[in-house]
Amino acid sequence: MKNLIKILLFSVVVFGMNSCTEEKILELSPINNISEKDAFTTPSLIESSMNGVYNAAGIGQFNSTNPNGGRGYVWGAAFVEQGDCRGEDVVNTATFYQLTYTATYDPTTANNVYYWVDGYRLINRCNLMIEGVNEAVAKGIITSTVGNDYIGQAKFLRAITHFELLSYFARPYNFTAGASHLGIPYREVGVNSQAEIDSETLKPRNTVAECYTKILADLNDAESLITSTVKFKGSKNAAIAFKTRVYLHKRDWANVIAEGSKLNGKYALTTNPGDPFVTANNFSNTESIFSLQFSATSNPGVNAALASMYKGRRLVTISPIIWRNSSWLADDKRREEGVLVETVAGRKYTNKYKDVTNFTDASPVIRYAEVVLNMAEAQARLATPNLVASLTLLNSVRNRSLAVPATQAYTAVTLNSQLALVQAILVERRIEFLMEGRRWSDIQRLQNDDLAPINGIPAKVSNGAPAAALFTLGTPYTGPYGVAAVPSSDFKVLWPIPQIELNTNPTLAAQQNPGW
Amino acid sequence: MRSKFKWIFSLLLALSMQFVFAQEKTVTGVVIDKSGIPLPGVNVVIKGTSNGVQTDFDGKFSLKSKEGDNVVFSFIGYKSKSLQINKSNNYNVTLESDAVQMEELVVIGYGTQKKREVTGAISKVSGKDIANIVTPSFEGALAGRATGVQITTANGIVGQAPRIRIRGIASISSGTYPLVVVDGMAITTGDVGGIANTNALADINPADIESMEILKDGAATAIYGSRAANGVILITTKSGKKGTMKVNFSSSLAVASAVKKYDLLNTADFLVISNEKRTNRGQAPWAVGSAFDTDWQSAVLRDAPQMNHSLSFSGGSEKTKYYLSLGLTDQTGVTLSNDMKRYSVRANIDQDVNKWLSIGTNLSVTRTEYNGLNTGGNSLSGNIFNAIRQLPNTPIYDTTNPTGYNITLPLSTNTVGQGQNTDPVGDNIPNIVYVLNNNKYYSKVNRTLASVFANAKLTSDLTFRVQASADNAITAGFQYLNPIHGDGRSVNGYLLNDNTEYLSWNWQNILNYKKTFAENHNLGLTFVSEYQKTKYQYFFGSGSDLLSTFYNQNLVTNSYATKDSGGSVSENGIISYLGRATYNFKEKYFVQGSIRRDGISKLGLNTRWNNFPGVSAGWTVSKEDFMSSLRNTVSDLKFRASYSQVGNTDIGNYPYLGLTSSSPYGSLNGLGYTQFGNNELEWESSIKTDFGVDLGLFDNRLNLTFDYYKNDIDKLILAVPTSPSLGIPGNTINKNIGKLNNKGYEFSASFKAIATENVNWELSANVTLAKNEVTKLFNGQDILGGGSANVNIAPNIIVREGESINSLYGFQYWGVNKANGNPVYYKADGSLVEGNIATSSYFVFDPNNPGTQGAASSLSASTDRKVLGNTLPTYFGAFSSKFNYKNFDFGFMFRFSGGNKIFNSTRRELVNQNLNNNGTEILGRWQSASSPGDGWTPKLWASGNTFVNLSGNATSRFVEDGDFISLDNVSIGYSLPKLVSEKIKVDNFRIFIQGQNILMITKYRGLDPEMESAGVDINGTPRSKIISMGINVSL
Repeated sequence: MKNLIKILLFSVVVFGMNSCTEEKILELSPINNISEKDAFTTPSLIESSMNGVYNAAGIGQFNSTNPNGGRGYVWGAAFVEQGDCRGEDVVNTATFYQLTYTATYDPTTANNVYYWVDGYRLINRCNLMIEGVNEAVAKGIITSTVGNDYIGQAKFLRAITHFELLSYFARPYNFTAGASHLGIPYREVGVNSQAEIDSETLKPRNTVAECYTKILADLNDAESLITSTVKFKGSKNAAIAFKTRVYLHKRDWANVIAEGSKLNGKYALTTNPGDPFVTANNFSNTESIFSLQFSATSNPGVNAALASMYKGRRLVTISPIIWRNSSWLADDKRREEGVLVETVAGRKYTNKYKDVTNFTDASPVIRYAEVVLNMAEAQARLATPNLVASLTLLNSVRNRSLAVPATQAYTAVTLNSQLALVQAILVERRIEFLMEGRRWSDIQRLQNDDLAPINGIPAKVSNGAPAAALFTLGTPYTGPYGVAAVPSSDFKVLWPIPQIELNTNPTLAAQQNPGW
Repeated sequence: MRSKFKWIFSLLLALSMQFVFAQEKTVTGVVIDKSGIPLPGVNVVIKGTSNGVQTDFDGKFSLKSKEGDNVVFSFIGYKSKSLQINKSNNYNVTLESDAVQMEELVVIGYGTQKKREVTGAISKVSGKDIANIVTPSFEGALAGRATGVQITTANGIVGQAPRIRIRGIASISSGTYPLVVVDGMAITTGDVGGIANTNALADINPADIESMEILKDGAATAIYGSRAANGVILITTKSGKKGTMKVNFSSSLAVASAVKKYDLLNTADFLVISNEKRTNRGQAPWAVGSAFDTDWQSAVLRDAPQMNHSLSFSGGSEKTKYYLSLGLTDQTGVTLSNDMKRYSVRANIDQDVNKWLSIGTNLSVTRTEYNGLNTGGNSLSGNIFNAIRQLPNTPIYDTTNPTGYNITLPLSTNTVGQGQNTDPVGDNIPNIVYVLNNNKYYSKVNRTLASVFANAKLTSDLTFRVQASADNAITAGFQYLNPIHGDGRSVNGYLLNDNTEYLSWNWQNILNYKKTFAENHNLGLTFVSEYQKTKYQYFFGSGSDLLSTFYNQNLVTNSYATKDSGGSVSENGIISYLGRATYNFKEKYFVQGSIRRDGISKLGLNTRWNNFPGVSAGWTVSKEDFMSSLRNTVSDLKFRASYSQVGNTDIGNYPYLGLTSSSPYGSLNGLGYTQFGNNELEWESSIKTDFGVDLGLFDNRLNLTFDYYKNDIDKLILAVPTSPSLGIPGNTINKNIGKLNNKGYEFSASFKAIATENVNWELSANVTLAKNEVTKLFNGQDILGGGSANVNIAPNIIVREGESINSLYGFQYWGVNKANGNPVYYKADGSLVEGNIATSSYFVFDPNNPGTQGAASSLSASTDRKVLGNTLPTYFGAFSSKFNYKNFDFGFMFRFSGGNKIFNSTRRELVNQNLNNNGTEILGRWQSASSPGDGWTPKLWASGNTFVNLSGNATSRFVEDGDFISLDNVSIGYSLPKLVSEKIKVDNFRIFIQGQNILMITKYRGLDPEMESAGVDINGTPRSKIISMGINVSL
């Protein structure tokens, strides 16, 4: 009996052991995550991978441990917020953008660090997408037509992201003859193996000229490959529109006009300046060319989403500097309360981004008004300026916002020189794209400009909530400027390459922007 | 009750008498102990028969026997005694306490060992040492009780898990929490989900703990192999003992209050300081109005009542032993909206089935409910972040406001009312009192720890134990963010319900062999196979854009416009085979060796399995003959040495795989690359060496222990930083690269100063000297931010070769230029630069010529930052005393620690330059060349935080020493004298008063030098000072 029980006991134990087989305990695979190897194995996964590239563009990761926990770096929100706060046309009211606003950043400041980090994170997803699609097409999983559409979109995003980073981390195209000064590394290899890490780490910064060549090549490919036409994804026309921006920075005026002309009839300015910013119309208006889309559950969040920062939390006001600019008429529709502007306690805030509850406003990367003004400027700056064409284009943007266009519109008399016209266009850009993040890239490209140069970062109104009285129209704002200008010669004009890059990449560590 | 027992005893006596033979005579007597106290319940049995009785409550027995019978007197804890019945009919027997049986046993993992046989470094803390300390969780009371062990409660939030470090920090990227084993099963630790902070260890009722063993060195931990790198805490819960039922009741009531509050400005000073910020910058004053002088900080802090009650029943018969307990804890936190309630039940039962087989269960069911709040160090609604910024010249309430609170209208502004001040409060913070009174954060944990075991005595030397256990924590979380004001305003209110489940099961087979050969050779062998699997499952549903504030208690279908849900699952498993051999000769020479082979699911096929050996040896010198002459002085002297290799499995669930994550684009499904794969990933290994000495003097009245340890951690799985411009997910790859070591000396002493009938005085002290050094990183690259993802911490710390892990990293501050109030810093080359506040730019500074601005210069985050200090204490310890005089007892414990630096980021917050309140330190600011202030605080400059205070980087301006001595607890108790307690029919009745965190002696200028995380003090909720009183009753 005793032995029988002992045997029974052992049997239970042995049975227990058998049930604890190695497969059940040790051979576990993730339930939450699809293996990287499987990401391009079916058409639907490939389509999702493409969307994942846009996810990286719109949300990023910032310093979060959650891959979808980002703050809209680069194309979801940060390009607007950083682009505005580096310039003088907004006032930073709280702490949030202060380091950018007052140029007190350094190689460890989150704003500039994650611009770089999330920018390259997006670029790597683009490169992996291109490689994955090529492989899938070779295996016959998708057709080459479908594949080309994806590759075109990936190249589009790769190009515009490199271009965006260039404007913060490198001097403008005309800084040296032939743009032979340092740009940024132009990454074209999807990195997901140690060998690729090793070889890519050896690559130094490309020159600005090389970067422009690659950007334009990618945009040309995008133009020829993309078949998608929706506004929330890269399209053939978006690639063309973006080329007008690139050529403008490159000061290749003829090509700005050539590319811009391709879009004649494809887009039209909306009747009212606020129409593209009606949330429901973000993707259905005639003017928007490429914008990122968001949903209530997938957006840059309360700490970044445009509606949150600019409207909900009111962290940034319109600056009296631009608000009181005499070129911006008092009855201009772009001042219309409740449409494009919201006044709180006398301070002027933008109303371009409205959904403070669900943060679903699109982030406007490029719209047709910019293409028109790019062309206007190019016409004015041609070796043989075409002032008539330029004026017409400028007025086409400006007139829709004027209360009485018949009397208020610019004429060949009021803008009677190339310089006057270019200056008017540049002011118009500040007004038209106010709170759309365009200011910095204009400041950057106009350093040492022959007609309307800007020296470094202009002086700004003191950070903090500006007094209501400062917004009274009638006279231009002439100071005080609590935040001093940073001259072009100052190293702080450029963002430093992040310290975490220097620590991990000996090649780039030797190529930090001078002064940092 | 006593009469009832007497009745039961009589019955037993009567029953046993039925078996008595007629011709026998009746012998009687009394059994007493050495001090003459009668022993009830002693077994009195005639040898070779089952005839026997038990002594009654007066120690008396009466037994039928005949001359020549051998009668054996046996009682647990005493040496058995036998005597032969002679002519006499009356025998008085004195039992001596059994030195062997009473000898302290130490739990060592898959078994126990006599303390004097232990060759590893193990600290034992008895449950009763911490029984009366009011703490949400037992580990909070462990601080100071063992060498090499640091336990820090970094703030006063009830429910936040304390930080535990056993012999330092043993990993950079992976987990640093010790393995916690309760009654043989490794349990889930850390936060177990929900919304409010939870602490898995708080689900154990401290009153149920019999003892805690902290395994520190390799020899002790090697038996836990792959999971032992951070040390192991073994918890043994109480079990019943043979004998009458014992009832224990203890109850305490306490009041907790903030140990200290921040010294903030009152309205008068606030007005001066705020407006000076503005006038210095050439701007109009912004602070106006002195009608109010509000103490916002006190509005979010409070005196909090706390109570603990526990009731237990334990006892056992010859075959059945049981322990049953009930516990109730209700603790309110010192900050508004924070509390914890715990209801616990435990049943431990042990049943002998027959002579060779026993079975038993340990079962504990706990319900722990936490209410929490936003304590974010940089959250606008973070309780302290917000409260210390509020303007004292504005009120909390405003009866004219529709909410009744002082809130800016329209309410969409989401900012506290600015009163007469010309500007809104800095950072647009909301009214924190409204927020705390309206938002809800809770976690409700249902925790079951269950195990069943069977012990089979296969032969007299060989036992087999099988144990199956399960640990199940199910946490329900809920969050409500009010739509009117605060964090929920932006999304028009938010509701979230979530559910988190951790389920682990564990199966162990343990074969134990113990035999003494040829009298002197003692051999022990243990073989174990163990299987464990843990599954984590989580889901949530949430809604925002609420229909009404009415919906604030749970998700209610269609009461919100925006809907979201999500979840995740992960699992991991481990299979282990291990063997341990112990051998000693004459209990003089000890050798022990163990080897464990572990396979884990967290690594790839090729690297999954690994072996973890450990060896140790000991020599009890005092037993040698040549020591015999010294035996009166040196009662015990033992040398120990050990070496082992252990691992760390807290490395994430699938660290070696290349993975994607679902990454939607707007409403479209998306897939994104999120983890770089490295299938060559291997085990982290930790090589632990320890040399120790145990010394007992004067009949062990003075006990000294010394240990030297060194833990070399190799093949650290580092999230190796990759160049961000490559776009690798997270910019890291998990690689086995990196080395660090922890070295230290541990001393402890205990001294029985007085041991007389009426007076007992016991003193003990311990000191640990510890050093941590990172010896190798990938390509020698610094890791900025250490392993921290916290934006308040990461910018201030670094992991660098040759330095202690997570050292402070930033600019060296020189002071203020007395000529103009500008801050002056050191550059890397030792030269000085002055930061011109007006232009936010740097110039060379000449202290001999401060009035003249030097050449343009810079302060570079790349090249001018340096290590500002180590954040790990280099020494720590405690001194405690227990004193008894008759029925009074008095005890206290001082704890000390230091050698570390703290970056007091809260101090930097308190000198902020926005329209916010400040700490009193700002009164020492530079005002003019003739009134230069404290020489440390620069000129004020409105909205100039980033430059005046360098808010993006650490500076030595706010770095302070972390040294302190604290009176952790002091207690006075009074037990009723035996005479009285017998009259009211209780065994023991004690009342006590106790104080915790009563006194802190430190130069640290923050609230408390232990309120740091990775060396950074940032807006913490004050820790609590607790005064409690209570009773312990046993029946």
